[in-house]
Amino acid sequence: MDYLYGLAQTIGVHTILGLSAYVVLQTGQVTMAQAAFFAIGAYISAMLTTVWGVNILIAIPAAALVASVLAGLAGFPALRFKGLMLVVATMALGEAVREFFFNFDYQIAKGDLKVGPAGAEGFRQIRYFYERGWTTAEVALFIWMFVVGIMALLWWMDRSRIGAVLRAVGEDELAAQSVGINLTAVKVSAFAVGGAIAGVGGALYGHYTTHIEHTAFGVLMATFAIAYPILGGLSSVFGTLLAVLFIQGLLIQGLPMLIGGELRNLLFGLLILLAMNVRPRGLIDGRVVRMLRGLFSPRSRHA
Amino acid sequence: MVLVQAIIDGILVGTTYALIGIGFTLIFGVMHKLNLAFAAASIAGAFVSLLAWQQLKDLPVPLVFLVAAAAAGVLGYLIYLTCFRFIPLKSPLATLMATVGMLIFLEEVVTHISDGKAQNFPGMVPEARWVLGPLDLRVDYLLVFAISVAAMLLLLALLYRTRLGIATRAVAQQPVAAQLCGISLDRTNAATFVMSGVLGGLAGAMIGSSAELLSNLLPLQLTVKGLIVTVIGGLGSIPGAIVAGLLVGAFEKGLETWSVLARDLCVMLLVFVFLVAKPAGIFGKLNVRD
Repeated sequence: MDYLYGLAQTIGVHTILGLSAYVVLQTGQVTMAQAAFFAIGAYISAMLTTVWGVNILIAIPAAALVASVLAGLAGFPALRFKGLMLVVATMALGEAVREFFFNFDYQIAKGDLKVGPAGAEGFRQIRYFYERGWTTAEVALFIWMFVVGIMALLWWMDRSRIGAVLRAVGEDELAAQSVGINLTAVKVSAFAVGGAIAGVGGALYGHYTTHIEHTAFGVLMATFAIAYPILGGLSSVFGTLLAVLFIQGLLIQGLPMLIGGELRNLLFGLLILLAMNVRPRGLIDGRVVRMLRGLFSPRSRHA
Repeated sequence: MVLVQAIIDGILVGTTYALIGIGFTLIFGVMHKLNLAFAAASIAGAFVSLLAWQQLKDLPVPLVFLVAAAAAGVLGYLIYLTCFRFIPLKSPLATLMATVGMLIFLEEVVTHISDGKAQNFPGMVPEARWVLGPLDLRVDYLLVFAISVAAMLLLLALLYRTRLGIATRAVAQQPVAAQLCGISLDRTNAATFVMSGVLGGLAGAMIGSSAELLSNLLPLQLTVKGLIVTVIGGLGSIPGAIVAGLLVGAFEKGLETWSVLARDLCVMLLVFVFLVAKPAGIFGKLNVRD
């Protein structure tokens, strides 16, 4: 049973990671910096709880705030670029942040134990949940409270005016600009919101794995962050959740039981390839969303 | 003097970065699409040549290079077929994601071939050195430089002196007009992928050969380096990619004399400086978007 709760934790945190990229992708920006904001959230919240003994309910919003502010600041220079230039700019930013944590050393003695980030070795002993005797199930529940909260927020945003503005910028910048939308404001806000969400995800990740190191926050994690929403489709937040279930649940946890771990990673890349060939606009695209809406409100279908 | 030596070494080896950058830039120039799997395919090509070298002992090094170039060329065509040919070009995210899938797949193939650790690779002229006054140049670095320059000249000759080159440049400028003139977009795009693949495979083999080691971590590292070179040089600009490759190579080796740890961080900062100060790159045109 603990295995399933552990899986629920992983899926929850990765969903948050994917949703952080979802917001930015909706404005048509491909960002590779989400892993960096994820890392910032993880390190800051872990330092708050472990080194300074702050409550986690304060540490998580604080981490989100810092990640969000940094994302906004990074957004201003980065958003001068489009397409490939932005991919590389954000990738450079992400790698720079990772290299920073690689060189980041700040340890204090706590009893006979030294805690805090220690450069290449990483940040061990993030024992907040263990010290307070939380079970795996409780931690999973805690994580999913955040997942549900963020999903509800984004779902509401999608259906509101804000979502329409984001999508307008994503579909056609020129048209959006000509109806009076401030492109920079929209993009930087999306970046900041994405950064905040990534910060929350990173904070939860750091606390449930109890050990973070810079290698985890590389290009691969940044790729996963954008892979979930692109694979799932940008028409609905549930697409991202579905993609995380597909990748983390089926491909990474499920397949090894069926066919062994050797083949799994080979299949992983190929299945992404196949999915993009078959469904270029994501698993849940606009047509599926309309179909589902039709199913749940039959009256509007006949209207 | 150590610094001058390091910078010269960096320029010599930087030609391999230039080749990878040219590969990215060629594909971007023709298709206006990013092929993230390109550097991984180049290294995968080098690993195929490594397998050939391990199987047939005493395979001469020039042949190893040719095998790498050919294998990477074939991989380039496969990438075109799987990631670009059948995906509607109107959804740029889909092709990007498909190449990411390919990148993950190729990286895994490389991990399998290499057993998860760096493998020995045949060197060209190990230990040979050429002492020039206070400088002490490695002959294999000079060979890397010579081969890369030859490959670049060959590419330019191909682009500017043959019918295929004219077709490629026409498609890069105006795909629709090119098609109206009877140029097959499909065939030209495929040829571009093969061309860039051959260059990449050659670069991958030379990177392995000059270090006498082929690291299994190279696919991701080289992807990042290649993209950096492409952006610093300006999207779609071949001379830009060449200059940027040499610049990044020299910058890296120069920093290594100071601190290996800070090297990558500084390279990333260099990119950011370029993006802020000169967003179009050294030779690029502004307002290019995919």
